[in-house]
Amino acid sequence: MRQADERTEESYGESYEESYGAARAVRAPAVTDEAPARGRPWSWPLLFLGAAVLPGAVIYVVGRWGDEPAAQAWRTVCLSIAVQATPFLLLGTALSGAINAFVPARVFSRMLPRRPALAVPVAGVAGAVLPGCECASVPVANSLIGRGVTPAAAFAFLLSAPAINPVVLTTTAIAFAGSPGMVLARLLASLATASVMGWLWLWLGREEWLRPTTVRHTGHQPGHSRWTEFRLGFQHDFLHAGGFVVIGAMAAATFNVTVPGSVLDTFSGSPWLSVLFLAALAILLSVCSEADAFLAASLTGFSPTARLAFMVVGPMVDLKLIALQTGTFGRAFAVRFSAATTVVAIVCSTLIGGTLL
Amino acid sequence: MKRPLQAVLLVLSGIGLLHVSLFTDLYLRYVKDWTRPLLIASGVLLLLLGAAEAWSLRGQGKSQEDGERHRHEGHEGHEGREGYEGREGYEGREGYEGREGHEGHGGHDHSSVPRTAWLLFLPALSLLFYAPPALGAYTASRQTAKPVVRQDDDFDPLPATSPLPLTLTDFTLRVQQDREQAIKGRSVRMTGFVTPGKRGGSWDLTRLVISCCAADAQVIKVRIHGTPALSANTWVTVVGTWHAGGTLGTSSAPVALDARTVSEVEKPTNAYMDALPLTDSR
Repeated sequence: MRQADERTEESYGESYEESYGAARAVRAPAVTDEAPARGRPWSWPLLFLGAAVLPGAVIYVVGRWGDEPAAQAWRTVCLSIAVQATPFLLLGTALSGAINAFVPARVFSRMLPRRPALAVPVAGVAGAVLPGCECASVPVANSLIGRGVTPAAAFAFLLSAPAINPVVLTTTAIAFAGSPGMVLARLLASLATASVMGWLWLWLGREEWLRPTTVRHTGHQPGHSRWTEFRLGFQHDFLHAGGFVVIGAMAAATFNVTVPGSVLDTFSGSPWLSVLFLAALAILLSVCSEADAFLAASLTGFSPTARLAFMVVGPMVDLKLIALQTGTFGRAFAVRFSAATTVVAIVCSTLIGGTLL
Repeated sequence: MKRPLQAVLLVLSGIGLLHVSLFTDLYLRYVKDWTRPLLIASGVLLLLLGAAEAWSLRGQGKSQEDGERHRHEGHEGHEGREGYEGREGYEGREGYEGREGHEGHGGHDHSSVPRTAWLLFLPALSLLFYAPPALGAYTASRQTAKPVVRQDDDFDPLPATSPLPLTLTDFTLRVQQDREQAIKGRSVRMTGFVTPGKRGGSWDLTRLVISCCAADAQVIKVRIHGTPALSANTWVTVVGTWHAGGTLGTSSAPVALDARTVSEVEKPTNAYMDALPLTDSR
């Protein structure tokens, strides 16, 4: 029976290869999901016993442990990050699904300059139109790559969108009501970082770092309903990215609960250390880019440049984003890209903060 | 993750979000109040997605079955009942792979959602059945108080009401920045929750303030002297006068209160903000 199944699948794959001749027949190991359904007779009593005892024990342990103040705080922070991210994640994945199903590839080739080096800053500025936090931009960037946008430009968009959109700039202006220079500095430093990262990808980036399934977004296929394509893409991207957001939220909540807030005051004295420290803090806290300005404004012990670094690094690299990028583009990419972005963002915000603030 | 499960997950997440945002105020434990319309819209959208998925699975199964019949028998497959049973027969073994193969043709391998999607069950079920409480004394005791944003030096004269209702932020500003020392000798009333002190004796009247979600919570505290602390996280209204020390109106003055009365109050619905005490305190 199984052999027959596998053969069916193989023949599907072959005919697919033949008819399309494309390399995008990267098939996920779909078979792994199915456990063999044949139950062995001797395991039934065990199974019943397990079913009777295990849930009770789990509920008891979770209940005992879950009512500790620390565990409750962890659950609250974790859940609040997930809840807060959901609307923006839905926005991003809906957009990504719509781009995939409804927008022809030629639209992007017409909108962006032909030369990739020029397309990078244009895509960076285009990030201003996506009014969401960082969760929204990853799926959108992924679908842009699938639609033939050069990855460098898509990455510039990915980095700039959560940092320079109008909502974020407005909240920054509100949080730093006393120093309007901060808004300008944030805008410039974020744009500069996004562009430099795009160019860096053109120079050093390799396609093979990107997970092959990234090319799943192949756009509208003749003979399929665009609405069904949209819905399936939307649903797939949301479930996929959502799982990784939960991982990121767990990591951020762990940091939030285990590290006392009083650590913040330790490094505020030294100007250089404080920049590095706040950059690291931005990565670990994983605060949504629409709220980080308020947090930055409250870190009064730190220099303006360090606070700028906090706001430039935060929307581009944090635990939640690293998890999300790992899920979307693969680990090889996420590690390299996040590390490079952190360095570039710190350098850019130090330079721009040093001159403007 | 199999597709019927995906539909279940989407529907559960949608119901969970609607449960906390539309039917109850639970969402205020996690996020700011302005996110409510966004959460409701997301909940509805997830429900619709899940319903559409369930509907299409049903339709897809049928049409696939019809296709089979066309191929095998060459006539109209109108015996829906029988067709359904037939489908159940081999669905578990072949239906999925067959379907994925079909979608592979279109270049859409959307059925292969990775295992991490299972993690979404955690927040969905947690919202529905095991919603954790709002942050409180545990978080507050581990953070230093949020520095109060410096205002200009022009403080308005205080109203004559006594006891004077104040927010914790206003009290902090008056104590540490008002050169006129208008707060001196005044009886004030403030509401917050109890964060017990390290040693016995004094404790903190506390508020947590968030700007987006509970992950960015910041603490405002006023040290309370003269009354024993109630148990942690109890919401109280305190009436008292400034606890003298340092020079009033400079940062050397302690943000502290000599309490005269401490009375328990209801926990406010929207707790993550620094608000005036309600007038009908018991």
